[in-house]
Amino acid sequence: MKDKDIIICRCEEVTLGEIEKAIAEGATTLAEVKRRTRAGMGLCQGRTCSKVIAKLISKYTGQPLKDILPSTFRPPVRVVKLKILGGEESCFLEKQK
Amino acid sequence: MELVEVAVIGAGPAGLAASIEAAKAGAEVVLIDENNRPGGQLFKQIHKFFGSKSHMAGIRGINIATKLLEDCEKFGVKTLLNTVAFGLFEENRIGLANKDKKSILRAKRIILATGASENVLNFPGWTLPGVMGAGALQTMMNVNRVLPGKRILMIGSGNVGLIVSYQALQAGAKVVAIVEAAPQIGGYGVHAAKIRRAGVPILISHTVKKVFGNDCVEGAVIVRLDKKWKPILGSEKKIKVDVVCLSVGLNPLTELAWMAGCKFVYIPALGGHIPIHNWNMESSKKDLYVAGDLTGVEEASTALEEGKLAGLAVAESLGYLKREKASKRKAEIREQLIALRAGPFGELRRKLKEPFMQGDEIRK
Amino acid sequence: MNKGLKFTGVISEEELKRCPGYPSEERFKKGPVAVIECIQEIPCNPCEAACPFGAIEIGEPITNLPVLDEKKCRGCGVCISSCPGLAIFTVDMSYSKTEAVVSFPFEYLPLPKIGEKVKAVNREGRIVTVGRILKIKNSLKNDHTPIISLAIPKKWAAEVRSIVIPQNKKERK
Repeated sequence: MKDKDIIICRCEEVTLGEIEKAIAEGATTLAEVKRRTRAGMGLCQGRTCSKVIAKLISKYTGQPLKDILPSTFRPPVRVVKLKILGGEESCFLEKQK
Repeated sequence: MELVEVAVIGAGPAGLAASIEAAKAGAEVVLIDENNRPGGQLFKQIHKFFGSKSHMAGIRGINIATKLLEDCEKFGVKTLLNTVAFGLFEENRIGLANKDKKSILRAKRIILATGASENVLNFPGWTLPGVMGAGALQTMMNVNRVLPGKRILMIGSGNVGLIVSYQALQAGAKVVAIVEAAPQIGGYGVHAAKIRRAGVPILISHTVKKVFGNDCVEGAVIVRLDKKWKPILGSEKKIKVDVVCLSVGLNPLTELAWMAGCKFVYIPALGGHIPIHNWNMESSKKDLYVAGDLTGVEEASTALEEGKLAGLAVAESLGYLKREKASKRKAEIREQLIALRAGPFGELRRKLKEPFMQGDEIRK
Repeated sequence: MNKGLKFTGVISEEELKRCPGYPSEERFKKGPVAVIECIQEIPCNPCEAACPFGAIEIGEPITNLPVLDEKKCRGCGVCISSCPGLAIFTVDMSYSKTEAVVSFPFEYLPLPKIGEKVKAVNREGRIVTVGRILKIKNSLKNDHTPIISLAIPKKWAAEVRSIVIPQNKKERK
């Protein structure tokens, strides 16, 4: 196995080579790498790979890590079925008093 | 929409401690957790904790969790389990969902105690079944009573790596080696000493080069590193293992804090970007408090103390505690926190947090 | 290669000499005594309160190293299971003419049997001698940290700190 074939984002099966290519083509933020490669778009929403990708961006673009911010978080930040998200609102707490 | 006084997201040590303090003072508290039981990582911690008596030192994590759950019950904390907080919205609204329903909860105060997730290392073969985080190994062994392998390679010698190695030994596995990329052991010497006595080698300046196997882990190649952390050619060693366990640090789970618009600071030694907070554990956003690993990765014992601070501050801001009484109690807890952050292991964390851990005036 | 706890996980001789919880040679000769192998300033102090004779002092801050008052210590071993780091042992050099007794925490199952001959290991986990199990203390107070007392030839008393763990029994000779 070559290094470039190492998977970085396992949810979307994006390899190191693909991420390096995206950065070489001009992606300079996590969001840009995500849009080009889908890395960070899977079930875990980048929880596993974003730190690694941030380091790659920093390595190739020279940006300090502190400036490489996570891509915008939007709801749902956890896995939720669309049926539930779009469905009726219910009460989780028992009425009291 | 439902309205509560205090919503705490995450029922680990920080969330539990925060809920108890706020509820004890009289606030109405709802504690939300995505798991089927509260306690966070505490139920996996079968070892005795460090600290002083007031930190519950000498007590096993699992027993600390039991005690905290009893206190939650005693002070009337309402717990929503199997419930995810999928978003934070305007006016302190929290989106909640369980297996088949959703709800929007509005809280006068929100405490985020979402903890941290594990870092990974990407080497050839890291996606093979048998490569797992230390947390996963702990969950399998200590919660589900399943030993996923018989011969384990541990990557990382921080306290997590050392403790989980010890627990794997207790569960009956062989820990073939612990490799550590740094030129010294990361965790406490006493943890290292007890696994050395059990015959486990700790290889400093070593890392894993690759893991191989057809459908699952069958072995690994480890390699020695030079002073610049570069692999030394020819020093590769093939070892037979069926589990490769990663304990290479944690990453604060900050999604909700980002979504709320909190101000962040980047501190690599605390895990990366963390929300700025004061001694009340209040973030830059009004009514939003943070505690535990998401404010910088530390120990369960520090998470407990931070949780208490957040709980007290919230109770004070809601008028359940007078300024004087709250200040006195918070000062005690600050002392406890400072005690935990002393010495060669904790001092760095204390210094890193100091610049923004300042005043504890309640914001009006 | 650097020596010492930070690099090997094994406390070195020099570190032991400097360790305020390590008894003097004279004290060892007098009979059972606690050996506190704690040399890093970590925030921890349960051993201080555990000692019924006030022989262990940490004070403030709690990162101070435990200091053993070897005159007060009677080698009772109550402190052993109180240590979250499993770093306290007792050694009795006065047990018999030829044998010493080392007591240590042992959190592995199955526990050995009283009278059983077992392989004794040093701080590196290397088998150095064979010992005889004298006693296993495992009351409620131990909270699942049994304390094993092992008789070994005297000359190994400064080295032996545990026995081979169950899963390593077969493989190594």
